[in-house]
Amino acid sequence: MARLQIEGLCKGWDFPVIDRLDLTVEEGEFFIVVGPSGIGKTTLLRLIAGLETADAGRIAIGDQDITTLPPYKRPVAMTFESYALYPHLSVFENIASPLRARRLDKAAIRQVVTEVAKLLRIETLLDRRPGEISGGQKQRTALGRTLVAEPQVFLLDEPISHLDAKIRHELRLQFHSLEELRRVATLYVTHDYAEALSLGDRIGVMGHGGLVQIGTARDVFMRPRSLFVAQHLGQPAINAVTAHLTGEGAALHVRAGNSSFGFPVVAAHAAALGRGGYRQVTVGIRPQHVKVLRNGEDAPGHHVIDGHVEIYEALGANGVLVADAGGVNLTALTSLERDFAHRQPVRLALQTDAVFYFHADSGDNLLL
Amino acid sequence: MSEQSARLVRTLLLIFLGLWLILTLFPLYWQFITAFKSAAETNRTIPTFWPEVWHFENLAAIFAEPSNFGALVDSFIIATGNTVASLVLGSLAGYAFARFPRQAGGENLAFWILSNRMFPPVAVLVPMFFLFDAMPWGTDSYLSLIILYLVFNMPLATWLMMVFFRDAPRELEEAAYLDGYTPLRAFVKVTLPLVLPGMISVAMLCWIFAWNEYLFANLFVGTQVRTFTIVIPTFTHGSQSLWNLQMAFSMVAMLPPVALFILLRRYMVRGLSLGVVKG
Repeated sequence: MARLQIEGLCKGWDFPVIDRLDLTVEEGEFFIVVGPSGIGKTTLLRLIAGLETADAGRIAIGDQDITTLPPYKRPVAMTFESYALYPHLSVFENIASPLRARRLDKAAIRQVVTEVAKLLRIETLLDRRPGEISGGQKQRTALGRTLVAEPQVFLLDEPISHLDAKIRHELRLQFHSLEELRRVATLYVTHDYAEALSLGDRIGVMGHGGLVQIGTARDVFMRPRSLFVAQHLGQPAINAVTAHLTGEGAALHVRAGNSSFGFPVVAAHAAALGRGGYRQVTVGIRPQHVKVLRNGEDAPGHHVIDGHVEIYEALGANGVLVADAGGVNLTALTSLERDFAHRQPVRLALQTDAVFYFHADSGDNLLL
Repeated sequence: MSEQSARLVRTLLLIFLGLWLILTLFPLYWQFITAFKSAAETNRTIPTFWPEVWHFENLAAIFAEPSNFGALVDSFIIATGNTVASLVLGSLAGYAFARFPRQAGGENLAFWILSNRMFPPVAVLVPMFFLFDAMPWGTDSYLSLIILYLVFNMPLATWLMMVFFRDAPRELEEAAYLDGYTPLRAFVKVTLPLVLPGMISVAMLCWIFAWNEYLFANLFVGTQVRTFTIVIPTFTHGSQSLWNLQMAFSMVAMLPPVALFILLRRYMVRGLSLGVVKG
């Protein structure tokens, strides 16, 4: 009943930002829009909220067409990236704002606001002004304001991107457990792929003009439709190597760099690539599919390449190693207890059956 | 800079401030002592700098004539009426220029409104008189001056309010729309409180201008309506100049704006710095 339906939505100023976008978010679904900054994610939310008017297309919630409704008549609540809390009002009044708009009586307002504040664990802050609370508390106040509105569609614009890692994790858990969000359609915008993979029932990757790929988090991550999608999901980013294919039929071979970089294409991939007759491709290798071998270690089913260390960074949970392998820079994930010196020779094992092949010009995934 | 020269600069600064204070406070001092002198004492060739005898009855004397108090009331009505009108019109126009610059006529229209204030008023004194004389409310009425002073105060209000509205984040209004407020209710709930300090300082500036205006009042009103600014000169006429009554009356007329300023100075300072200090 409260499903959000968007058909052929267009919006542009001097250039098109959203071009014929179609999307359906079911009731109870948590849909994440992920994409780089400035691609039009916020514009999409503003169009649904009614803060911008669509150039063309249709937006409906349930059976109701809301394309031309003013924002205050839409059953929609939105959190802003800047939180947009009213600086002259207390936290209580900020949360109560949607209830005051509906002219509820005092007792009812107090009850609802207190409940929501407890849920978000800001009940001790109700008398303070937004200027007197921390970023995470502001975020929760903004979220509280949208929760009390009991809308049919929630729009959350980068709600936790500007918070520090610890609070971000805590709020991410909170999003998982908020029953309220499970009863309505939620559209959540972020540029952080980890948020997208962790929170979303389905995610949509936004590129120029609209959503490039929609699917479950796992599906989009495992089967990216294009290089753009693959590059946007994953940290560190996928290795994109410009390469050409040599050989015939099932005996295809990848060559790149100064030609000492290369590996045989696995049979399943070779069949798909051979049909198209592709020669120039972009090879995508996720860092977790590049293994840095220990001395004397063997890697069955992997293709081993010699290289040397360019950069090594020890991060929180693992190490990130950038190696030069025959003129190609490859990023690999390593375990934290290992250490590497600059120019140290290393042996890299590529998991060749997990490699992606993208069209050299269009970036389309050639294996799909 | 050595300690010695720092002290020298400080001393020079204090001397300058002292001189400046004397310069600005002397007229007020002169007004105060003259207000309590006898008429004879005010006319001496060698002036006295402190009244020989304090004539407090001067204050009573000016209000012995009831129309003098009436003049203060008339001035108050005109200044307040004009301030309200300037604020309402200026806020609406300023809001439009700040939020919808293109639809509201853009920079050119906004600048044209401001240019009205750059015009030397005395150049249009006589045409204005004939223009207002042809209006249903004539020249000698509250409405004539309330409307006339809009020429000076509305551009000021429009421009200052435009700046204040520009500084009030649009996103807050949008958040209010999404909370379910209509544009008018969102304006009252969110935008107005944010610009209120600025609005109060604009109100002060408008009110003081209208309260003090003499040139147009002198020509326009005088029979039905009299402002205090045109009453003060009447203490000076052919045979004698009652400087003491003139000063006593002007001293009383000075009280309302000073009281207003003291009451509202907190807002005034905040308002004038609204555009400078963010957050």
